[in-house]
Amino acid sequence: MTEVLVAEDVRRSYGDTVALDGVSLSASAGEVLALVGPNGAGKTTLVRALTGTTDAEGRVELFGEAPTTVDRDRIGLLPQSFTPHERLTARELVAYYAGLYDETRDVEAVLADVGLAEAADTHYENLSGGQQRRTCVATALINDPDLLVLDEPTTGIDPAGRQALWELLEGLADRGVTILVTTHYMEEAQRLADRVGLLADGRLVALDAPEALVADHAGDSQLIVDGAFDEAAVAAIDYPTETTLQDGRLVVTGVRPESIGGVVDALDAAGVGYDSLTWTQPDLEAVYLELTGTGVGRSGEPREGARAATGGSR
Amino acid sequence: MSRLGRLRAESLAASRAFLRRRTAVFFTFFFPLIIVVIFGVLVQTRPGGGGLFTRPPAYYVPGYLAVVVLFTPLSRVGSEVARHRDGNRFEKLATTPLTRPEWLLAQTLVNVVVIGLAGLLLLGLMVVLTDADIVFSPLLLPFVVLGVALFCGVGAMLGSLASSQDGVISASNGIALPLLFLSETFVPPELLPAWLPTWLSPLTYFSRGVRAVSTGGGEVAVPLAVLSVCAVVGFAVGAALLPRTD
Repeated sequence: MTEVLVAEDVRRSYGDTVALDGVSLSASAGEVLALVGPNGAGKTTLVRALTGTTDAEGRVELFGEAPTTVDRDRIGLLPQSFTPHERLTARELVAYYAGLYDETRDVEAVLADVGLAEAADTHYENLSGGQQRRTCVATALINDPDLLVLDEPTTGIDPAGRQALWELLEGLADRGVTILVTTHYMEEAQRLADRVGLLADGRLVALDAPEALVADHAGDSQLIVDGAFDEAAVAAIDYPTETTLQDGRLVVTGVRPESIGGVVDALDAAGVGYDSLTWTQPDLEAVYLELTGTGVGRSGEPREGARAATGGSR
Repeated sequence: MSRLGRLRAESLAASRAFLRRRTAVFFTFFFPLIIVVIFGVLVQTRPGGGGLFTRPPAYYVPGYLAVVVLFTPLSRVGSEVARHRDGNRFEKLATTPLTRPEWLLAQTLVNVVVIGLAGLLLLGLMVVLTDADIVFSPLLLPFVVLGVALFCGVGAMLGSLASSQDGVISASNGIALPLLFLSETFVPPELLPAWLPTWLSPLTYFSRGVRAVSTGGGEVAVPLAVLSVCAVVGFAVGAALLPRTD
């Protein structure tokens, strides 16, 4: 498969601060590659190195050329914290960027794609935060790029707007557009990305398909049993998988949804009462927390996943 | 899209952005008015005695024009660079076909139009309010254009080197004020210390050339040539210093 983007051993330092420490990755045509990582992990510096807007050591190629010499008609960039002319309307802004390229999409079509047809005549400074971000995304789409680089494109966009943008990006990827996206939303990375790169302290600590990352790093599903428990209760429960006591709660590891009834039976058999049950499925957020060393929440409690399967009290 | 198309798009966006900042527009054109009123009407030129200025009103045409040719590009382009940098606009533009010289040229074109209009207003006010005897020659145009290009380049340098928009304004005032009064504009060279190297200031050549043209006497070619070189160098350095991102 044709590599659209190649980075090998990319390094960048600012004084004594190492922003990128030997990052290597690639993306092929039509692939969506998401970069996730904590603030300061090096995501934006990597985006800048890949787009040639900062000098970095190592090898970077876009379409087989250096980023500074590649045909700029083929690249669409949304920089982080991008703020265009505030007193131009959304339509004027998109038309302005259209005027910088040889061939572009229709301005009205792009505005419609990002859901701004109704607000096209509003000055940028008077748009809502989400509309402003969608205007910025539109400026990256106007030249119909083969490589779309989006640095936190959905920050500030409401859930409906985010969904619409995801569908738009999925459509572009289906048409063969390569998309590099940085995000703090694990749900976004999990939904959009063919592969996810996890950056921490300037290093790429993992790069794989979301499912593979979850399988390799997120651990097993858990059933969290809320109530007032002690070691005696743990010892009394007869269940085949690991059961531990964490901050007064029982955590049963490796429980499939269809096995939750078995845990309930085991609790009943042991005469252990409980307040509620929460089933958590491992996801990309668990991978993120595990690999960035932030696997325990601020309260010191184990992280609870997004999918609560059942609950109840006895 | 041709280079002309890119220049058109950038100039149009820059013009709209400027015209919609009403305070900036108002003071761009109000500035020449208050300068002429203060220096030309209140202080006045009275060659026969009295008044701060000793020469006929037309002598000060370069000074009045320099006020807009010098201050406006320095502060406008400097601030625009700072705004672009703060909004990561240069990072975005670096991935488009628009080059840095094209960006600065577009800003210069907008400034030429704005300053040209302000300059016309200023000259008109001088004639009406001070009875200045001015020769309106087309040769004034290249001096204004070159002066604007030079100081747009310097403004780009300031905007690129200063860390904030406030810093740009402070730096541009710090540079423009001494230049304005030490470049044979309002103060004749014989009133300045002999050791002062006014010839080092590019604004001196703007003054000499504009004075020669507007009074109908004096050397034009040499000031025009020197100012041309200064404008090319200033523009090139300003464009080269424009930031990409870091």
